[in-house]
Amino acid sequence: MYIKKVAVIGAGTMGADICYSIATAGIPVVLRDVSEDVLTRARQHIQELFDGRVARNKMSAADALDRMSFIVFSSNLDDMKDVTVAIEAVTEKMKVKQAVFRELDQILAPMALIVSNTSALSITELAQATRRPERVAGMHFFYPAHMMKLVEVIAGEKTSDETLYTVMRLAEEIRKIPVKVKECPGFVVNRVLMASMAEVLRFKEERGIDAATIDQVVTKNKIAPMGPFMLADALGLDVAYEVAQTLYQTLGERFKPSDELKQLVLQGHLGVKTGQGFYSYR
Amino acid sequence: MGEPWEAELLSRFQLATFLEAVRLYDEGIASAEDIDIAMRAGAGLPIGPILWGDQTGLDVILNQLNVLSETVGNQFTPPKSLVDNVARGQLGVKSGRGYLAHLVPAQG
Repeated sequence: MYIKKVAVIGAGTMGADICYSIATAGIPVVLRDVSEDVLTRARQHIQELFDGRVARNKMSAADALDRMSFIVFSSNLDDMKDVTVAIEAVTEKMKVKQAVFRELDQILAPMALIVSNTSALSITELAQATRRPERVAGMHFFYPAHMMKLVEVIAGEKTSDETLYTVMRLAEEIRKIPVKVKECPGFVVNRVLMASMAEVLRFKEERGIDAATIDQVVTKNKIAPMGPFMLADALGLDVAYEVAQTLYQTLGERFKPSDELKQLVLQGHLGVKTGQGFYSYR
Repeated sequence: MGEPWEAELLSRFQLATFLEAVRLYDEGIASAEDIDIAMRAGAGLPIGPILWGDQTGLDVILNQLNVLSETVGNQFTPPKSLVDNVARGQLGVKSGRGYLAHLVPAQG
């Protein structure tokens, strides 16, 4: 299906970064949020991304201005009426996402696709909030979405081939690398990352070696771009713990989160965002 | 290589990564090629975990897993597809086929 216009719902960091990627490719995009404050911050964030590209001589000032003009920042539902694809990027809660899906299903044209940037929730379950489950799919971007190339494209039980094709094509048009993934907890990347993280956490507990030393060995030997503890802190330890729990319950013991991770979460030490996790950021 | 524990850490980290990638492949969640692309483009790994396994040698990995599953835990139990590949002589790059096909012989 020809992609005439896209909407991104939820103007947090993820939504704003996705919107930036779409506008950069010259595709008209509506960035929607219910909060004007959030939209104002998103506009500043996207402007900074364009300014950064201009400063690094990756884009001319005129082009940056031109690409910025592809974005409509809006809290008005009417602005989304004529979009081909709506990308939902609101908070990672089934009820909240389903409410967004229900609303989109009512206002969008019957042919329009509704996709979710979820990293964990069931696409099949999200699709049930709509009357168009064959036109619902997962489109999972990676943080930071303006830099990371990967998009996991996930089919729910009823997702049609044409929907998948259009989502793959949209990903390619915005200069990403789409990879088709069947629906499963954690999809590909987070599942593999969580498996290795759980193993390193076990190693840490067995040996009593500190996080920074372990991270250094991992990065020094160039087996990953970032040590697992620094990655967990950046991701948010509450998020890491929740994902680990889900994977542990559905896939088995190897994902069992360590006691140390649980204790940190209980103490409110959630990583970078609270100033303390495996590392201290104060 | 520094302290002896460093080698064990690296080995456990890389094998855990490889094993989960193999499980995803065995479950049919994604193709071996796509899993490698995903881990490079989405997690910034310098090499896809499946290709890493094929380059290391699946027979070498099987031996390591047999040791680790005894000494560390059953998260290192070798997957059936790995045992089968090794039994068929599909050892990775050096034999021309492992989880991936390596039809052009390695140089040098």
